[in-house]
Amino acid sequence: MRRYFLKKISIYLLTFWVAVTIDWGIPRLMPGNPLQVFLLKFRAQPDAAKYLQAYFYKAFGFNEPLWKQYLYYWDGIFHWNLGVSMFYYPTPVATVIGQHIFYTMGLLVPAIICAYFVGNRLGAMAARRKVLDNSILPASYLISGTPYQWFAMLLAFFLGALWHLLPESNAFAFGTTPVWTWTFIGNFLEHWILPFLSLFFIMLGGWAIGMRNLIIYELESDYAHWLQMLGSPARLVRRYAYRNAVLPQLTGLALALGTFVAGQIVTEIVFNYQGVGLLFFNAITNSDIFLMQGAFLLVIIGVLVANFVIDIVYVLVDPRTRVSMMGAEG
Amino acid sequence: MFARKKKGFLGVAAVVLAGSLVVPLLAIGTTASATTVRPHVTLSHANTVFSSGVMYSPPTVWNPNAQGSFATGTEGFLYETLFLYNPITNKYIPWLANSGKWTSTTKYVLTLRGGIKWVSDVANGQAVKGFMTGADVVFTIMLAKTDPGIYYSNLANDVSGATAVGNTVTVTFKHPAAEDWQSFLYQDPILPSSSVYGMGDWNNAELNTDANAAPVASGPMSLDSANTNSEEVCYTTNPNWWGANVKSLGNPSFKFGHWCDTVNSSNNVELTDFLTGAIDLSNNFLPGIAALIHAASPGGSTYGNISTYYPRPPYMLSANTVWLEPNLSKKPMSNLYFRKAVAAAVNESQIVNVDYTNLVDASNPTGLMPSQKSYIDTAAVKQYGFSFSKATAKADLKKSNYKGQTVTIECPAGWTDWMAAINLIVKDLKGVGIKAEALFPSYATRTSDIEDGTYDFAIDNNASIAADPYNYFYRMFRLPVQKVQSAQDNWERFDAATVGGVAGKAWALVKDLNATAMTAKTARQAIFNKLETIELQYLPEIPVWYNGAWAQYSASHWKHWPHSTAKGDQYTPVMWAGWLGQMTTVLALAQLAHS
Amino acid sequence: MTDADAPAEGMRPASGTAPAGSDPPPVLAHGTAPDPDGMAAQPGAATEAVAPVSSPLPGAPKRRRHEFLYFAVRNKKLLVGISVVGFFVLVAIFGPWLTSYAPLATGNTGWHPPSGRHWLGTTYFDEDVFSQVVYGIRASFEVGVLGGCFSVLLGMLVGFTAGYRGGWMDEILNLVTNVVIVIPLFAMLLIIGGYLHQLSLLWEAALIGMFSWPWAARAIRAQTFTLKNREFVGLARLSGESSSKIIWREIAPNMSSYLMLTFILLFGGAILTASFIDFVGLGPQGVVTLGTMMNNAFFWDALDLHIWWWFLPPGAIITCIVGGLYLTNAGLDEVFNPKLRSL
Repeated sequence: MRRYFLKKISIYLLTFWVAVTIDWGIPRLMPGNPLQVFLLKFRAQPDAAKYLQAYFYKAFGFNEPLWKQYLYYWDGIFHWNLGVSMFYYPTPVATVIGQHIFYTMGLLVPAIICAYFVGNRLGAMAARRKVLDNSILPASYLISGTPYQWFAMLLAFFLGALWHLLPESNAFAFGTTPVWTWTFIGNFLEHWILPFLSLFFIMLGGWAIGMRNLIIYELESDYAHWLQMLGSPARLVRRYAYRNAVLPQLTGLALALGTFVAGQIVTEIVFNYQGVGLLFFNAITNSDIFLMQGAFLLVIIGVLVANFVIDIVYVLVDPRTRVSMMGAEG
Repeated sequence: MFARKKKGFLGVAAVVLAGSLVVPLLAIGTTASATTVRPHVTLSHANTVFSSGVMYSPPTVWNPNAQGSFATGTEGFLYETLFLYNPITNKYIPWLANSGKWTSTTKYVLTLRGGIKWVSDVANGQAVKGFMTGADVVFTIMLAKTDPGIYYSNLANDVSGATAVGNTVTVTFKHPAAEDWQSFLYQDPILPSSSVYGMGDWNNAELNTDANAAPVASGPMSLDSANTNSEEVCYTTNPNWWGANVKSLGNPSFKFGHWCDTVNSSNNVELTDFLTGAIDLSNNFLPGIAALIHAASPGGSTYGNISTYYPRPPYMLSANTVWLEPNLSKKPMSNLYFRKAVAAAVNESQIVNVDYTNLVDASNPTGLMPSQKSYIDTAAVKQYGFSFSKATAKADLKKSNYKGQTVTIECPAGWTDWMAAINLIVKDLKGVGIKAEALFPSYATRTSDIEDGTYDFAIDNNASIAADPYNYFYRMFRLPVQKVQSAQDNWERFDAATVGGVAGKAWALVKDLNATAMTAKTARQAIFNKLETIELQYLPEIPVWYNGAWAQYSASHWKHWPHSTAKGDQYTPVMWAGWLGQMTTVLALAQLAHS
Repeated sequence: MTDADAPAEGMRPASGTAPAGSDPPPVLAHGTAPDPDGMAAQPGAATEAVAPVSSPLPGAPKRRRHEFLYFAVRNKKLLVGISVVGFFVLVAIFGPWLTSYAPLATGNTGWHPPSGRHWLGTTYFDEDVFSQVVYGIRASFEVGVLGGCFSVLLGMLVGFTAGYRGGWMDEILNLVTNVVIVIPLFAMLLIIGGYLHQLSLLWEAALIGMFSWPWAARAIRAQTFTLKNREFVGLARLSGESSSKIIWREIAPNMSSYLMLTFILLFGGAILTASFIDFVGLGPQGVVTLGTMMNNAFFWDALDLHIWWWFLPPGAIITCIVGGLYLTNAGLDEVFNPKLRSL
């Protein structure tokens, strides 16, 4: 058990190191002056531009040798000091991300959890009856092939632009300040529904297919046949099959995180939803390398933490591991 | 083995996953506790005007020296200039200054209005901190000499000294500098010089880059930081503003209590916000708006409240000239006949029709704005100007040394209207036998391509509209060309190395303009004529169309927006930096009334 | 879902067969196919590890081929999947003859709803949507096939080497796989795309392939592990054949059906990922793709101007193509995998 987690954690740490290094390296190793766009904002005369360039080059630490910049970067990560955003200048990147993370988490986590449970249930239902199998399964395949942004556009078009039922952009209305009041919460929820639905719906399909296939496989296995021969009620057999199938589905959850990140980013773009995905996109289009690094770092940390949580859940839920743990301790 | 399972592991899984949901919620908990300290107001639309189309990044800076990064309203609502310029009527309006004039070619005397107050922001109670005096004006001017990073540092070469007695300021010059000074008068806001509440004790780094998050300012509105967040900046009217008492300006005052300018993410989102009535004024290019305006009229559909400055094409005032910018330091663009061929091959009216659905006008060959029409040398245009003609283009191409190279035309990815224009131009060029390709890199890459001179063609515009075409030609001909052209001047690289002696001649003419008094109209026009002739003969830039001063208004909450058909002087409807506080938009806002 | 990150896994237990230390918990006795959001989870061969190669004896292939065909023509999923994908392949090939408009030729009068002249209407720029769709399908297939090929080839290279060689080589390759697998593909592509001057279709496919191979590699590695201990491989080794020959001649053919399934999933995944990249505006320029169509429609106000005929078709077609591919994959799996045929 310990060996397993040690191995896991060391792989995560290695991944973190690789990702951070790439994150740090790409903007710096690319040709061109990272401050060019930022300096252009100051509309300075040529001499003044030179002066500002020198000033900011130092202020952003580009005058240091690369290895030092790299070490400083790591030092910054440990102190959660991710530099100053150019796009939000002079707000620190950590503050900017702090302002946006709630919106991303508030969408992504409920969408993943709901889709996971509902999808698994749907899959289990499909495995039960031929009629359901013939409807849920094809639908699930289509849903799995649907681009997130397209479904988001469908919702925005029909429920927003055409019928004016729900707001089709922003996370809350103009003129409201994001603080904990009922007005704000109501406003937030109203803007939350469409992006949530679009994420939730697309995420459903995969789980349903996976669960349906796993259950059918389980029902074909020896123990199921055996149980049936012993005269166990079909419901009981199915329940066992479902439980056994949830395990691999959980691993599937870890593996799907990367695609969920992609879905989240394009969905936030469609609904102009002020989460980290939109922030990441803005950082890239505005060449704000510090914000981009910070947002990417956050994505990496999120994915790694989620992987780790799923690992723990897996071990907790899997009876065999529980036994082996007890065995190891006893 | 499965029989050992006692509890549903679904339950365990749910608990752990729910736990991972709680973490982010705790995160907002901490942010929220920090924000609840602030007084919370949900601004009612009945007392607030919402605008958009100005800021592309969240409001974080209210320092007028941080040009290009300050929040909407920093110039205009907070800090004000000595004069305003109205491009519609081509008139200057005394603003902070009561009057001002050249007493000799190197001496300028101006008097400030009395009773202008420096007022703190809403969080600090909009308290009167002090009065604006000549000392503030002198402080602002002298920053050009003491702060090498300030955006008007060019004044340092012109000004020898400035002194103030009460509200009267006398500025002396080393040499005549009519244009530099003129642009300072109506473009650069006056800063508070006090060391107690102003910028008097700021070092250069602070002056250039400090966020100035609690601005003490003279303007008609005060920053309302409680309602400002990463999506919008909000202001509250300043009850202590000087303007309401000035009869000669018509006692301007705002009927709204608050103004919020929202961050603009893209034009489609903005159109949504505009059509749903969330914003009243949009200063962004909104594709298809002409169709919606016309759809509105018959039967009074949902969009009946939408209007623009002109009721028919071009709908918008013109804001600046868009050029097809050749890189003169590269082949084949260095060849004059090649440039002529390109100029004749581009079908400007198609760009106006298809890309902009007639929201803009095609450009005059000189590129001078409609408001600068009187400066255009029509004889030169007739003799040297270009117009769309495939035959001419093919003939010119034959005379050029074009050998079938592929040339690229670039603009930043995501600048949708320009991208569409480039696609049309590429087709036009292919039509006459030039191998052209569209290139849409990131803004950063495109900018370094231009600054480093590695691009072929780019779509670019001149800095902005101004009272006369001096800025236009300054932008076009400024010398010397550096290896990296970091300032947005002479990006096409018109210098001795690319076109020979004429470059020096053109730049000398531009400098002559600065040294020629504003009152010497004939002498100045002669210089303009020469510059236009050089431009038309050498085609350093190929003017294509005029970017619109995008402004669409919704009357669902507020009415009396600027219209070409309305009575009396009209003011500009644009909140952009360089317009709100400089081009009389602030006066247009004073006319708004609740619907 | 997109499967872009982790498509090919799913049919085969990586850990069930692999020695301890591979990614999923070693206790996973069922070893079932942890796969991206359960997509095409095919636990069929789980306990038995390698169903499709269960009779890799000389002489067997021919008989089996008939058997496969018998089940293939009776498998509804396969038939539906193949006909949907096949239909769009035909459209991509013959479509250009059906339209008289160049995809980027602009008219003069703004957007128009579908009509006899323009079957799917015209865009904001008065371009013919139908011809854009036709060329867009072409581009989608190109990216899908190329991207799928790139990642399968990379996956085969890594998987075969790691699985066959074993030892430290396996350790290192496995580590690399485990690292790349966690890094979110799309976020990575966004960063790289933001810095590239301009992406061509080929580059787009190559980039997608570069980051979506780990699943293929992991699954192929597991398969190779089991196969390399079979007698026929041992025989080949005894006869002194080189490793690459053994892999190529003995091992690869015995998992060809498996490689095909992997490829189909990666193919669909690449189409979806490309549609994301194109939608955010970092895709290839000057080429019509279904993703750039959605990008244009979205950013040129198709929603608010109610130009539904502009953004509905490209997304619907991607959905059908990718859904069809996944369905084909599931159908084929049932054909190759007797255990799954029952339902």
